Amino acid sequence: MSDFYLVYKNLTRKKLRFFLTLFAIFIAFLIFGALAAFDKALNAGVELSADNRLISVNKINFTQPLPISYVRKVETIEGIEAVVHFNWFGGYYKDPRQQVLTFAVNPAKLLAVYGDDIAIEEELHNNWLKNQQGLLVGKAIADLYGWKVGDRIPLNSNIFSKRDGSSSWEFDVEGIFTAKFPQADTNNVYIHYKYFNETQSFGGDFIGWMGIKTTDPARNEMVIKTIDEMFVNTPFETETVPEKAFQQSFLAQLGNIGLILSSVVFAAFFIILVIVGFSMVLAIRERTNEIGVMKTLGFSSVRIFKMVLMESFMLIFLGGIIGLFVATFFLGFLNNAPQFPLPDLILSSDIILRAVAVMIILGLITGIIPAVNALRLNIITALSRR
Amino acid sequence: MTSIFSQIFTVIMMNIRSLPKRFWMSFSATLAISVVVAVLLSFLSMSNGFKKTLEGAGSDKTAIVTRSGSKSELNSVLTNDVVNIITMAPGIAKNADGRPIYSPELYVVVDGIKRTTNTQANLPMRGIASVGFDLRGNVEIVEGRMFESGKNEIIVGTAILREFSGFELGTTVKFGKSEWTVVGIFSTGGSAFESELWADARTLQSQFRRGNSFQTIRVLLEEPGNIDGMLEAVKQDPRLILDVQTEIDYFKEQGEALGGMVTLGWILSIVMSLGALAGALNTMYTSVADRELEIATLRAIGFSNISAFFGTLTESLILSLIGGIIGTVASYLFMDGLTTSTLGGNFTQVAFSFHMSPDLFQNGIILALVIGLVGGFFPALRAARLPVVLAFRGGV
Repeated sequence: MSDFYLVYKNLTRKKLRFFLTLFAIFIAFLIFGALAAFDKALNAGVELSADNRLISVNKINFTQPLPISYVRKVETIEGIEAVVHFNWFGGYYKDPRQQVLTFAVNPAKLLAVYGDDIAIEEELHNNWLKNQQGLLVGKAIADLYGWKVGDRIPLNSNIFSKRDGSSSWEFDVEGIFTAKFPQADTNNVYIHYKYFNETQSFGGDFIGWMGIKTTDPARNEMVIKTIDEMFVNTPFETETVPEKAFQQSFLAQLGNIGLILSSVVFAAFFIILVIVGFSMVLAIRERTNEIGVMKTLGFSSVRIFKMVLMESFMLIFLGGIIGLFVATFFLGFLNNAPQFPLPDLILSSDIILRAVAVMIILGLITGIIPAVNALRLNIITALSRR
Repeated sequence: MTSIFSQIFTVIMMNIRSLPKRFWMSFSATLAISVVVAVLLSFLSMSNGFKKTLEGAGSDKTAIVTRSGSKSELNSVLTNDVVNIITMAPGIAKNADGRPIYSPELYVVVDGIKRTTNTQANLPMRGIASVGFDLRGNVEIVEGRMFESGKNEIIVGTAILREFSGFELGTTVKFGKSEWTVVGIFSTGGSAFESELWADARTLQSQFRRGNSFQTIRVLLEEPGNIDGMLEAVKQDPRLILDVQTEIDYFKEQGEALGGMVTLGWILSIVMSLGALAGALNTMYTSVADRELEIATLRAIGFSNISAFFGTLTESLILSLIGGIIGTVASYLFMDGLTTSTLGGNFTQVAFSFHMSPDLFQNGIILALVIGLVGGFFPALRAARLPVVLAFRGGV
C-alpha cells in the first residue's frame, strides 16, 4: 500500500468534513479566478497598448479640444508614421442610458495607426471609407444591438446637436470589426469626422485628441518633445504621452480598483486558511493514537511528517483545481452574456500560475503545524492519550 | 416536570459553557464570518458614502436646466439666448426688483494630480457668479477670501485640497496658457461641490474661449420642488430643447453611479458566505460529535430532542453573532471616514468618504445570522436525532 493511498484514505475518512473544507477552498479559488480575470480585463487597455503609439491631448485636460489644423502640422514631424484624430461624440442608441462609445475620426488613417489591433475585411473597410455616413461597428456592439452590415442606424449625441436642432444622426453600418487580441475590447464604433463636423451646430473644426504611430519606439521621446514644443505658448498647448501612460492614468482615475480586488481575494484566502488550518489540526489530533501505532509499526517520523503535509496539499490542490475549473465555465458564461460591458474575461496562464503558487503556500501553512505535531509525537504519549 | 423552555435554556447554557473546549474550531468559524461581514460592509459603506456626498449637494429649492439628453453638466451647452428665454418661465422666484433669481454656470474639466497615485485626474472647474453662492446656501469660505470678478482667481473646495496636490492657498496654477491664483478655500458641508474649483463665470468664459455660452442654469424656485411652470414653458417653445430637474433629483441620479458596487459587494460576500458557511457547518458538526454522549445522556434523563436541537442552533447563532459584531466593529474602525475619489457621472473626480450607517450594520448582522442559522440547523437536526441508546454504551 503506497503512502499516497493512505493519505487519500485519511483525507476522505470523515466524508462530511472533507467535503466541507474542500468546498471552502473551492469557493476561495473561484473568487480568485474570477477577480483576477476581471482585473486583467480592466488592465487590458494598458497591457495591449503598443510601444510605438502616442496620444496627444490638450494640456489643460483631454476633454478640452485641439484645433484640426494641428493634425497637418504633426504629420510632417520626422519619426511619425501616421496620425489619426478623434472626437468624442457622446453617442447613445435610442435611450440616453444605452451609451455607445462613438468616435469621429479621419477614416483613412484609422487603420494606419491602429491596424495592429483592429481586424476588418478589406472590402468592408473600403466601403466604409467611401460612405461618409458609414459606421464601423465593434463586434461587441453589433452583437448587443443586433446590427448587421447594411442596416441604417440612428445614433444620438448627448453633447452635440445638428444644425436643424435635432440630436439624432443617421448612419449606415458598413463594417463590423473584431479585435486581433482576444482580450481587447470591441465596444465602440467609428464615424467620419467630416460628416460629424459639417452637420453639428457649434464649435466646428476642433478635434478631441490625436493617436500617433511612430516609426520606431526609440524615437518616441524625440517625437513627444517636438510636438509639445511646436505648440507651446499657443492657446492650445498639447501634452503628448505614450499610449501606455495615458491608459494607466485613465484607469487610475477610477480609483484603486486593483487594491479593492486584491483585498477581497486576500480576505477569501484568509477565511480558508483559518477554516482549513484548524480542521487539519483537529483531524491530526483525532488520529494521535493511530500515529502512535504507525510509529510503533516502524513508520519513520519523517515519513509521517511527509504524509500529513501531503494530506493538506492534496486537499488544497483538489479544491483549488475544481475552483479554477468552475471559474473558467463561469467566465465563459459571462463573456457570452450580451449585456456584459467588459472585454472577454480569460483565465490566462499567468493567473493559473499565481493560483498554483497560492495553493503551495496555503498547503504549506495549513499542513505545517499538524505535521510538526505528528513528527514530534512520542509513541508512549500517543498511545496513552485517549 | 421541567417546562420545555427551561430545558432548552439549560441545554443552551451547557453548550455555551463547553465552548472553551472547542475554542479554536469555534474561533475559526467566527473569524470567517467576521471577514465576510467586513467585506460586505466595505462595499456598502463605499457606495453609501458616495451617494451621501452627491445627494448632500442637491436642494429641492433649486432647479437645474441642462440641454435635453445631456444627463450631466459637462455635456450640456446652453446659448445666451436660451438662458434669457427659459429664465422668463413661470415658477422662478424673483428678487426685490422683480428679476428672476438664477445662476448661469460654466463647467469645464482641468487636470489635477491625485495624491494617492500621483497621476493626472479630471477636476471640475465651475464658472459661477455670486448668485450661485446664494442658491447653494451653505457655501462657506474657510480660509482666504472670495475670488474677485474679472480676475484670474479661483477658490477650491476642501476635498480638492485633501485629495489633489498643487492647490494650496496662494499657489498659482496653470491651465494651458492661463494662470490662476488660489485665493480661497471653501466648504459646502461635505457635499460634492467640495471636489470643485470655482472661478468667476465671465472670466472663465473668456479664458476658455466659451464666448457667451453656459452649460447649466440653476434657478431658485418659488415653491420648493415645483418645476411645472418651467416644464410647461419648455414644452411650448420649440427653441427650448432642455431638461429641467430639481437639483435634488439631478444629484440623486448622479449618486447612483456606484450602485454597481452594492451589487458586486453583495455577490462577492454571498459567495464568500458559502465558504464561511462550510466552516460554520464543520464547527457545529464537530461540536455535536463532541457532545454526543452528553446529549444522549440528557435525553435519557428526560430532556426532549427539541432542547437538543435548540441548544446546538443557539450555539451556532451566538458564534455567528459574535462574528458579525467583530466584522461590523472592525469595518467601522478601519473603513468609516476613509477618504478616496473616483470618476463620477460628470466624468470628473468626486472625493468622498466611506460612510457606515445603522442600516448597513443591520445588513452585516443579518448576513452573519443567516450563516449561523443555516450552519447550525443541520448539525442541530443531527443532535436532535441522536439515539438515546448511545448513553448506555459507555463511551464510543
